[in-house]
Amino acid sequence: MRLSVTHETRYRYSSPVVLSQQLLHLTPRVLPWQGCHAHQIDVEPTASEMTQREDYYGNRTASLVIAVPHGELVVRAASAVSVEPRAQVALAAPKSSWEAVRARLSALDAPPLAEPAEFLFDSPHVERSRELADYAVKSFTARRAILESATDLARRIHRDFKFDRTATSVSTPLKQVLRQRSGVCQDFAHLMIGCLRSIGLAARYVSGYILTAPPPGRSRLVGADASHAWASIYCGERAGWADIDPTNNCIVDDAHVTLGWGRDFADVTPMRGVILGGGTQQLAVRVTVTPGLEATIESK
Amino acid sequence: MSRELLAEYPQATDRFDELFEAPHTPRAHWRPLIEQLAAWPAERTRERLHSVHDQVRENGVTYNVYADPQGADRPWELDLLPMILPEEEWGRIEAGIVQRATLLNQVLLDVYGEQRLLNEGLLPPALVFGHAGYLRPCRGAKHAGDVMLHFYAADLARSPDGHWWVIGDRTQAPSGAGYALENRIIISRAFPQLFRDLKVQHLAHFFATVRDSLAHWAPPDHGSPFTVLLTPGPHNETYFEHAYLARYLGLALVEGNDLTVRDGCVWLKTLSGLQRVHAILRRLDDDYCDPLELRSDSALGIPGLVDAARRGNVLVANALGSNLLESSTLLGYLPNLAQKLLGEPLKTPSVATWWCGEPAALNEVIANVHRLVIKGAFPQQRVEPMFGEDLDERGKKRVIGMLRARPNDYVAQELVHLSQAPVWDRAHPRLLPRSIGLRVFACATPNGYVVMPGGLTRVASAADARVISMQRGGSSKDSWVLASGPVSSFSLLRRSIQEQDLVRAGTNLSSRGVENLFWFGRYCERSEASARLLRVALGRFGDNVPGDDDERARPVMLELLRRAGMLPGGGAAPGDKELSAALRAAITDDAQPGLAANLRQLMRVASNLRERLSLDNWRALNRLTQAVTQRRGRKTAFSDLLTELDLAIAGFTALSGYALDGMTRDPGWRFLSVGRRLERLQWLCTTLKLTVTGPAEMDLTWLLRLADSIITYRARYMARPEWLPVLDLLIRDEANPRSIAFQVQGLRDYAQRLADLFGDFGDERFHGALKGLLQLDPGNDFQPGNERLLARIDEWQAAAYRHGEQLGLRFFSHVGEASSQTFAT
Repeated sequence: MRLSVTHETRYRYSSPVVLSQQLLHLTPRVLPWQGCHAHQIDVEPTASEMTQREDYYGNRTASLVIAVPHGELVVRAASAVSVEPRAQVALAAPKSSWEAVRARLSALDAPPLAEPAEFLFDSPHVERSRELADYAVKSFTARRAILESATDLARRIHRDFKFDRTATSVSTPLKQVLRQRSGVCQDFAHLMIGCLRSIGLAARYVSGYILTAPPPGRSRLVGADASHAWASIYCGERAGWADIDPTNNCIVDDAHVTLGWGRDFADVTPMRGVILGGGTQQLAVRVTVTPGLEATIESK
Repeated sequence: MSRELLAEYPQATDRFDELFEAPHTPRAHWRPLIEQLAAWPAERTRERLHSVHDQVRENGVTYNVYADPQGADRPWELDLLPMILPEEEWGRIEAGIVQRATLLNQVLLDVYGEQRLLNEGLLPPALVFGHAGYLRPCRGAKHAGDVMLHFYAADLARSPDGHWWVIGDRTQAPSGAGYALENRIIISRAFPQLFRDLKVQHLAHFFATVRDSLAHWAPPDHGSPFTVLLTPGPHNETYFEHAYLARYLGLALVEGNDLTVRDGCVWLKTLSGLQRVHAILRRLDDDYCDPLELRSDSALGIPGLVDAARRGNVLVANALGSNLLESSTLLGYLPNLAQKLLGEPLKTPSVATWWCGEPAALNEVIANVHRLVIKGAFPQQRVEPMFGEDLDERGKKRVIGMLRARPNDYVAQELVHLSQAPVWDRAHPRLLPRSIGLRVFACATPNGYVVMPGGLTRVASAADARVISMQRGGSSKDSWVLASGPVSSFSLLRRSIQEQDLVRAGTNLSSRGVENLFWFGRYCERSEASARLLRVALGRFGDNVPGDDDERARPVMLELLRRAGMLPGGGAAPGDKELSAALRAAITDDAQPGLAANLRQLMRVASNLRERLSLDNWRALNRLTQAVTQRRGRKTAFSDLLTELDLAIAGFTALSGYALDGMTRDPGWRFLSVGRRLERLQWLCTTLKLTVTGPAEMDLTWLLRLADSIITYRARYMARPEWLPVLDLLIRDEANPRSIAFQVQGLRDYAQRLADLFGDFGDERFHGALKGLLQLDPGNDFQPGNERLLARIDEWQAAAYRHGEQLGLRFFSHVGEASSQTFAT
């Protein structure tokens, strides 16, 4: 599917910001199932410096410095991408029991699996715990296939937790989400990742978007007017990674645009910054994802 | 004497004894010291002991303790006796440390580079990916000379068989070298002859090497590289050392908000704009260094530092991410890694350590838990060590359950029975045994690692302690490494300074430093003024002290005391009892406005300036505060308090002497002087205004004494003070450093100099104030209650206030503002 994405972030400050340094994860990653045909980032006021690079995980990032005093900052990212369907591919992949995958990940006598091993441990927003393990094991029953177990876990999160924009903020700890049973897509992704890591499996956090207005005959997905997030689970050496969206209780297909991945939100925050001055601030984020290519984006 | 000295020092039976090789028989390398002590009369030893104690206090050697409710600077504990190591033994330690530092550096380079060790299974992934100190954004950076570990420290302990073991590695920002240096300076003075006779190896070259190596690897630019020492600030436990090393090495001491990153380079915010920083010797923890890419809640770091370092535009020592090696999990893997990476066996072994993440190790630990120490696997866990021998059955079960639940998070270590060495008992002339450990330091140079010949010997607070902690009241020793030949000095790599590199003006003054200098000037003056006011007041009101007892001046002085907050405002005039209590409090109690409180503020500012103040200057300051606060809450005779004030005022005179004669006339000095003069001008205005509106017929002797102008007056007039000559001396006499004219002229000149150097900064240049001075007509205006005079005083006071504001806005304001973090989804 061809998709156009615009992601606008607007900060209003009560007093001028003298210096603003921002780290962006707003550029879609190029992947076997995803092409990025055009991409552009506009900044107001004009950035005095802008550099792009690949981060530790291979995601594309940009760093900005705005050195003129400003009362408002707007960062607009526009991208044109094409996404191949991949849910069926994941379902058709060779199956392993979750215990087998876990044993392989923790084996010290076999050649280490450095890539998934990266995603086995605690990270800034996801701390493994007994509570998360207890929640997870109801889906991870003896000798059950790992993908089947994980989709069941996503189903239960979707059933047990309420989507509520007002319930959490970026700093709400996972423990509290588990207790209050509500949150947004970032929380559900963290929750799913926490469950998986707490039982010894590797899981990573994927940042991206989903289609705002669905094509005829398909229902509108939750979280479409903002940036989105979901989890990816390591299913063994042959099957590799499978993306699962607990917010929408589905295996990720061609309506999800991937920006990048990391251990959790902290690694791929769409826009993370440090400002000098500013007083109190208001933040407004607008995301639109539409089918087809928008003419305003110039092809690279 | 020798017998008596050693009577309370039993030879260790279950541990290594540094001193004795057989009962009552000191080892050869200790003998000269013991003989010397035995030969000294008790008086001499006591005098040396006091001298060590006094120097620690006067030099302000402190070790802050976070848990201390007052956040007070705790004096550093230093034992009179050095720890002594013979040359041959040191040679073995040195070789082991060089090898270990080389190995650790290679491990670090690999983990932050190719990760061959991980991919080949030589390091379990949990040790890296499960370590919160593994900083992903730092992977792939280029490191000049392939060095990430510039400065390394190892904690050594000696087991009963006499071998040294490594019990911990300090790879992030090791502390202690500065304390070791300070210990050396103090203890070598206590035993000057012995120090020379034993040919103790010197430390100075090591520090020169640290500085020169940093300069060597700093990114190339025009001219000499500019190196700074980055500190978390005065609240840090080892801040003394940061300031000390900065001063010793000649580096600028900076905090995170003194630096900024632009165009991928690091810059120091200075008076004259941004100055490029080429190398940062940091004492700030890894994850706090950059709120943009690392810990977002850090208020101490420099946003963008990681990127600047990754691009190779600044040398950060140690490289960001080196905390990774501060994990006991690694210890068990080092022998294997030494073989693999260096092709040789590990020379100095680590204490036996099992990482519970290995199932076999876990089982062994569980079986032997009663004789092991359980520790957190990673420094971020902050787990207190648990001693198996202390656990009962239930405790053991609980610990085993904990290990099974999260095996990756724990290591178990064998308990090392620390060796014992003699310490001097402060109470009696004798030696006592104490457990000791040795922290040694190494520095990377282009020719490999160099080890500091000596180190910091840490002394436990009890004879049989299992851990040594400076936080928990441990002490320290100077550490002497003996040499058989002449004390060697190795060649330095220093690139020599060329003519074009010569520096004159202090352009690299940080804005924060300048602000502190300004306030240092103000608080010096304010403290002195309060001491003088208290002295005059005490002389007047105190019992038993004859003073000028002109009752007519009393209300004016009471009002001055009220303005200074030393007396409660309003109400009836206080009785003598009330007044003397208030004066006593104003002198000694730093919780009340007055001398002690002003001194506390002065010390606070001074502690931010430690690297700029000479040691002599610092000693004078320390004496001042300690003398005053010692009297707090104690019943002290007024005459003694007066003596204290006399001494304090002499101390302030010494301080202004340093400022006048001991500091370079750079812009920083100018700010200090502006602070002093502004403060003095404001104080003069307040005092004169109250006096001029006071009783016309009062005796003005007290005013002259308050303004330190009595000698001049008497020399000139030989008569009782009268209004016209007194006001002329205190207002119009440009030659009197205590006059208004002197302050105003000086301020005008400084303002002009600053404007010439840095451009315009507000319009207050004291031209109006000077004109006002000239327009005064002494014959008519220098009278009590004169309206024209009072109006002028108001103008001067307003000008002083305005000038202070304008300086602040232009030169100081942007430093105080904190940056904040933002996240958008």
